[in-house]
Amino acid sequence: MTHTAEREAPASAWSALVPLARGVLWGLAGFGLGVALIAVLRAGAGRSAWSLELSITFGYALGIVGWLFGVGVWERWGREWFGLSTKEGPTGWQRYFAFTLDHKVIGIQYLATFLLLFLLAGLFAVLIRAQLLSPEGAVMGEGTYNQVMSLHGIIMVAVAVASIIGGFGNYFVPILIGAEDVAFPRVNALSFWLVPPVAVLLLTAQAVGGWDSGWTAYPPLSLQNASGQLFFSLAIITFGLSSILGGLNFLTTIIYMRAPGMTWGRLPIFVWSMFSAAILALLFTQFFAAAMLMLILDRIADTSFFKAAEGGEPILYQHIFWFYSHPAVYIFVLPGLGLTLEILAHFSRKPLFAYRWAVGGFLGIVGLSAIVWAHHMFVSGMDKRLIAPFLVTTEIISVPTGLIFLSALGTLWMGRLWIRTPMLFAMGVVFNFLIGGVTGIFLADAPTDVNLSDTYFVVAHFHYTIIGAEIFALMGGIYYWFPKMTGRMYDERLGQLHFWLMFLGFNLTFLPMFWLGLHGMNRRIATYTPDLQGVNIFVSVMGFILAASFLIFVFNLLRSLVWGAQAGADPWRARTLEWQVSSPPPVENFPAPPVVSGHPYDYGVPGAPAHGVVGMAGGSDEVSR
Amino acid sequence: MKRDLVAAGALWLILTAIGELLAVFVDFYPLAKADKGEDIEHAFRVLVYFAVPVFTMVVAVLVYSFLRQHTTEFPTDDGPPLQGRGSIPLAWFVITSALTLAIAIYPGLVSIPNIFGDEPNPDLVVEVEGMQWTWFVSYPQHDVARVSELVLPVDRTVRFNITSRDVLHSFWIPGFLMKIDAVPGRTTTISLKPTKTGSYQTDPNLRVQCAELCGLFHSKMRIPVSVVSDEEFAAWLEEQAGAADAAPLSEETEAADALSGGIER
Amino acid sequence: MAVAAAHADVKARRPGINQLGLWLFFASESFLFSALATARFVIAGTDRPDELNQALGLAITSVLLLSSLTAYLAECAIARDDRPAFLRNLLATIMLGLLFVAGVVVEWSTAEFHLSEPYGSAFFSMTGVHASHVVSGMAMLALVYWLGLRGHFSAKGYWGVEATIKYWHFVDVVWVFFYPALYLVSW
Repeated sequence: MTHTAEREAPASAWSALVPLARGVLWGLAGFGLGVALIAVLRAGAGRSAWSLELSITFGYALGIVGWLFGVGVWERWGREWFGLSTKEGPTGWQRYFAFTLDHKVIGIQYLATFLLLFLLAGLFAVLIRAQLLSPEGAVMGEGTYNQVMSLHGIIMVAVAVASIIGGFGNYFVPILIGAEDVAFPRVNALSFWLVPPVAVLLLTAQAVGGWDSGWTAYPPLSLQNASGQLFFSLAIITFGLSSILGGLNFLTTIIYMRAPGMTWGRLPIFVWSMFSAAILALLFTQFFAAAMLMLILDRIADTSFFKAAEGGEPILYQHIFWFYSHPAVYIFVLPGLGLTLEILAHFSRKPLFAYRWAVGGFLGIVGLSAIVWAHHMFVSGMDKRLIAPFLVTTEIISVPTGLIFLSALGTLWMGRLWIRTPMLFAMGVVFNFLIGGVTGIFLADAPTDVNLSDTYFVVAHFHYTIIGAEIFALMGGIYYWFPKMTGRMYDERLGQLHFWLMFLGFNLTFLPMFWLGLHGMNRRIATYTPDLQGVNIFVSVMGFILAASFLIFVFNLLRSLVWGAQAGADPWRARTLEWQVSSPPPVENFPAPPVVSGHPYDYGVPGAPAHGVVGMAGGSDEVSR
Repeated sequence: MKRDLVAAGALWLILTAIGELLAVFVDFYPLAKADKGEDIEHAFRVLVYFAVPVFTMVVAVLVYSFLRQHTTEFPTDDGPPLQGRGSIPLAWFVITSALTLAIAIYPGLVSIPNIFGDEPNPDLVVEVEGMQWTWFVSYPQHDVARVSELVLPVDRTVRFNITSRDVLHSFWIPGFLMKIDAVPGRTTTISLKPTKTGSYQTDPNLRVQCAELCGLFHSKMRIPVSVVSDEEFAAWLEEQAGAADAAPLSEETEAADALSGGIER
Repeated sequence: MAVAAAHADVKARRPGINQLGLWLFFASESFLFSALATARFVIAGTDRPDELNQALGLAITSVLLLSSLTAYLAECAIARDDRPAFLRNLLATIMLGLLFVAGVVVEWSTAEFHLSEPYGSAFFSMTGVHASHVVSGMAMLALVYWLGLRGHFSAKGYWGVEATIKYWHFVDVVWVFFYPALYLVSW
C-alpha cells in the first residue's frame, strides 16, 4: 500500500496521461499507415494517391487498432498472445484514465463519459429549440440545423444505448449476482476504450461538412451528402462492436458467475433486464453494422446496394436498419425499466409483485422484438402485404410490456412509499412510460400511423419512452447508487428539486408536441408554417427549463462528491447484495464469496431468509433485514 | 384492503369518465378534408376511447398508493407482502391480450384495405415527382405537366402515382391525413377523395409537405394544395395548358438542378 | 478458506466461460453474415450470372472444407501431445487457407460482372467480408503455429488452439452457406 502512495507523487499527475498519449500516438501512426497503404495501391493503379473517403476509411481501420493497442490492449493483454508477461495498470485515481480491468472503474468510466455526452447533446437540443422559436428559424440556416439535429440524434442514441448498460450494468451486475468481476474483464475494458474514437469521429465529422440525414441515415440521401456521413458510419460500426462485446460479456457473466445460491429465480430484476438487453445487443447490433458497411461500400467502392438507378433497393436499407434499431429501443429501455422495478420494490418496502411475470415480460419483449421492425415502414412504400402482420406483432408487444406495468403497480399498491429522490424518479418513469406506451399504440396501428409517422407525434412518443423512461431511470439510478459508488450522500433537497423541475419541464415540453404532430408539424424541420408558432414557443421555453434542471443535477453531484455526508454501507436498508458491502465496495467486491439463500425483495415476508449473506472469510455473519 | 380497492376503483371510474368525455368532445384533427382522412380520424378516436381507461387505471393506482401511505422518513414497517403469484397476473395477462387483439383487429386490420387500398378507376390520376426540394405534379388525363401546385376537384376520387428523382421524400398532405414515401425507382400510390373545398391560403394544412428528411431544404419542400369545384378545376386546367406552352419545361428543371448543386459532395 | 474455494470455483468454471463467450461471438457474427445474405437475395433476386467461374468456386470450396479437416487433426494432435503432427496439420491448414484466398483473388480479378451491378455488389462484398475473416483466422493460426514452435500448448492446456480452430470451423461453415447462395442458387 505504501508503494502506491509513493507512486502518487506530484509528477504522477502527468503520468495519468501516458496511456492516453500513447494511444493517440499509436492511433495516428496506424492512421498514417492506412492512408499510406491506400496511396501506394492507388498510385500503383495510376490514380491520385489521396481519395478522401477511401483513405480515411482505411486510415481509421488501422488507426483504431493503434489506439487500442497504445491505450493498454498491448500491455495488459496482447503481450500474452506472444507468450510475454502482461504489465500491471496504474493504481489510485489514474486507473480511471487507463485500460483498467476492474468492472467498477469501467462502470464509472462509462457513466462519466456518457453523462458528458448527454449534456453535450442536450446543448444541441437547446439549439434546436432555440431555432424553432421562429417559423423561419431563429438562430441558424437549414444546413446547420440539419447537422445539429443529426448530431443530437446520434449522440443521444449512443447515450441511450450505453449509459445504463455500460455504467450501471458494469458497476452493479457483478455485485448484484455476487461475483468478483465480469467474465471477461479485458474484453470489458476493450469495449469501453472503443467509445472515445466514436465521440471523436462524430465531432470531427463536422469539420468535413457533418451529415444531414439524421441518426437513421437513409439512402440515397446518405449516399450523396457530405463526407461526414462516412465518419458517422465508421463511428456506428465501432460503437456497435463495443456494444456487441458488452452484450457478450454480460450474458456470460450472468450465466456463469452467479454466487452459490443465486438461482435464476433469485436474480434481482435489474439483472434480468440487463440479461434481456444483452441478448438484443449481442445479436441485432450486427445488422446496423452490416447496413453501415453497405453504405460505406456504396460510397467508396461503387457497389449499388441502395442505388435505385443501378438496380439497388433503397428500402432494403430501412429493413436492415430497423431490424436492429427497433430492438435497439428495447436495449435502451429494458434496463431502465428493470432499474425502476428495483427501486420501486426497495422504496415501497414490499416484494416485487409478480416477479416471474415481470421476467416473462422482459423475455417476451426480447422474443417479439425481432418480428416487429417494419412498423417503422408502414408508409415507406414497402410491399403492402407486410402491413397487416407487422401491425399485429407490434400490438402484441404491449402484452409483455403490460406485465412490467403490472409488476410496477402491484408493487406500489399499499406500499410504504418512502419518498426519496430515487423513488420519485422511479414513479416518474411509470407515469412517463405510460404515456410513451399508450401513444405507441397509435403509431403501431397502421391506419393512424399513415398520418402520424414522421410528425412531431413520433418525436413526442419516442422522447417519452427514451427520456421519460430511460433517462428518468438513469437519474433515479444515479441518486440510488450514488452513495454506494462514492460513499457519500447526495443532497436530498436539491435532488427533489431536480426531479420536480425535470418532471414538469419534460412533460410540458413533450406533451404539446403530440398536439403539434396532430396539427401538421412534421419532424426534422428547420422551419415550419407560422400557424404553429405559439405552441412552439411554449415548447421551447419549457425545454429550456428542462435543460436548466440538469444544472442542479450537476451541481448536486459535484458538491456531494466532495462535501456529501458519509453514506454508510446501506443508507436505504435494502436487501440486495450491493448494500451488504462497504461503500464504495472493495476491489474484490466481497471480502468472501456471498451465499445467497433468499429472494431479493422479500420485505415484510414472515420468516423470509436474508437475500444474501456476506460472511467474513469462512464466517457466517447473518445480515438480516 | 377491500376499502382501498373500492376507493381506487372509484378514482379510476371518475378519471375514466372525465377522460372519455374529453375524448368525445375534443377535436383531435383540425377538420379532416378527405374521405380517408375522416376514417383515420375516426380510427384515432376509437383508439383514444380504448386508451383512456388504461391510462387512468395506472394513474389511479399511482396516485392512490401515494395518497394512501407515503413518508419522508424511513418507513417504520414493511408493506403487505403481496407476491402476485395467484390469479391476478393471469387475469391481467388475459385481459391485456384480449384488449390488444381487439384493437389490432379494429381499428387496425379492418381499416387497412380501405386506407391503403387503391382506387382502381379514379376520376382523376395525378402523377407526382419529388425532387430536392420541390414537388412536380402532372395531370396525364388533361395534358398538364409538372406544375408545382396541386389543385383537386372536390368529391372526386383521385389516385396519386408518386415517385422520386433523387432521394427519399414523403408525399404528405396534412389536411388529408394521408402520406406515402416517394422512392426513387419505384412508384407508390395513394387514393383518396377530397371532401371539402379550401386552399393553403386559408388552411396551412392544405399543402404537400415532404415528410421524409431529404437534405438541405427539406422543411421548405412544400407546395400549396387547393380543393375546388368542378368548374374551377376545369378553368384551372385550361389556364395551365396555356401556361405550359409559354414556359418550356427545361427552365424549371435547370433552376432546381442549380439548387441541388449547392451541396458539396 | 472460503476465498480460496471461490477462486478455485471461478477457475473451474473458466473453460465453460470461455466456450460460452466464443459461441456467443459466433452467434453474433452469424447475424452479420445473414444480413449480407439477405441483402444479396433482395437486390439480386434468386438468380446468378452465367459467367460465374463454377470450377473455381467448387475448387476453393473444396480447399476450405479440406482445411477444416486438417485443423481438426491439428487440434486432436495437441490433445494427445503429438507436437509434430500438431504443427504439421496447422501448417497445412494455413497453406490451404492461403490457397483459398488466392482463389478468391483470382475470382475477383477475372470476374466478368461488375461491382456496380446488384449481383456484383453482393458477390464482392460477401466474398470480401468472408475472406477478411479467413485472413484474420490465418493470422491467428500463424500466431498459434509460432507459439507452438516455441513449445507453448500441451494436452493440459490448449484453449488458444481450440478457440482459433473453432473460429476457423465457424468461418468455414459460413462459406457452406455463402457458396450455394452465390454460386448455386438459380430459380
